[in-house]
Amino acid sequence: MAESADHVSCQEVVELVTDYLEGALPGDRTALFEQHLNFCEGCVWYVDELRTTVSRLGEIREEHVPPDTRERLLRAFRDWNRS
Amino acid sequence: MTPADAEQRLTGTASSEAKLVARLRAGDEQAFAELIDSYHGTMLAVARNYVNTRAVAEEVVQEAWLGVIKGLDRFQGRSSLKTWILRILVNTAMTRGGQEARSIPFSSLAREDEAEPAVEPDRFRRPDGAFPGHWAAYPANWGALPEDRVFGRETLGVMQEAIEALPTPQRVVITLRDVQGCSPEEVCDALDVSDGNQRVLLHRARSRVRAALERHFDG
Repeated sequence: MAESADHVSCQEVVELVTDYLEGALPGDRTALFEQHLNFCEGCVWYVDELRTTVSRLGEIREEHVPPDTRERLLRAFRDWNRS
Repeated sequence: MTPADAEQRLTGTASSEAKLVARLRAGDEQAFAELIDSYHGTMLAVARNYVNTRAVAEEVVQEAWLGVIKGLDRFQGRSSLKTWILRILVNTAMTRGGQEARSIPFSSLAREDEAEPAVEPDRFRRPDGAFPGHWAAYPANWGALPEDRVFGRETLGVMQEAIEALPTPQRVVITLRDVQGCSPEEVCDALDVSDGNQRVLLHRARSRVRAALERHFDG
């Protein structure tokens, strides 16, 4: 996968996409990345898929603290406070 | 209220965090309850990556909470409260994980020079032909799939399986960043890895989870 100065290939896009989404891509590479997306539908899909993956991952987050665990920890906090 | 909302309300700004610490030190039980509700899930998710069973992970998290309680008077605010808590958790988990022979040398595993392509090389045109490095055939367009196929509950299960199958450093980083919503700084501080390193791990993990979804949608 050769890196050239004047364009990025699809194979490079799939490796740069995280840096791009994280805002960690240098300005000139960002410009080349976005330029590529302007003419490559496959890479637009790919980047969208990664965004979809990331946003859906956030739905896995566990919401529930078991009540007995919660109660035990609160009791430990009370005991610490009293001592 | 979701843990994310609770967290935002709890420690959204430096001054709200300072107030929270003061309340905790004063023995405000409600403050501690809010802390548990905000971070317990994140801690459990991280702990699960160091020990073999959920039951042991629960124990590790409870032990870490006791460490948090005992350490409150020593917390100096040099890092955020969350980062400080996660560090206690990771230390507790590594001690325990070590006993169970599953501790993780992060720095040695997070090597950037080991090639691990996000997409199999044979999906691209060969270097010696026309348009080298361009898609041989485009990836499937998820936008054309039925919406409930992409956004349904079943997809979450597929992603969970994909995460379980990841190498541990990748699993820890994607869990913290994308599942639990931690910032890059929080991940670097908790795991003692560089920003570049956590990004490489995140990239590989996201690429693999996306690939798992692609296979699922294909099947």
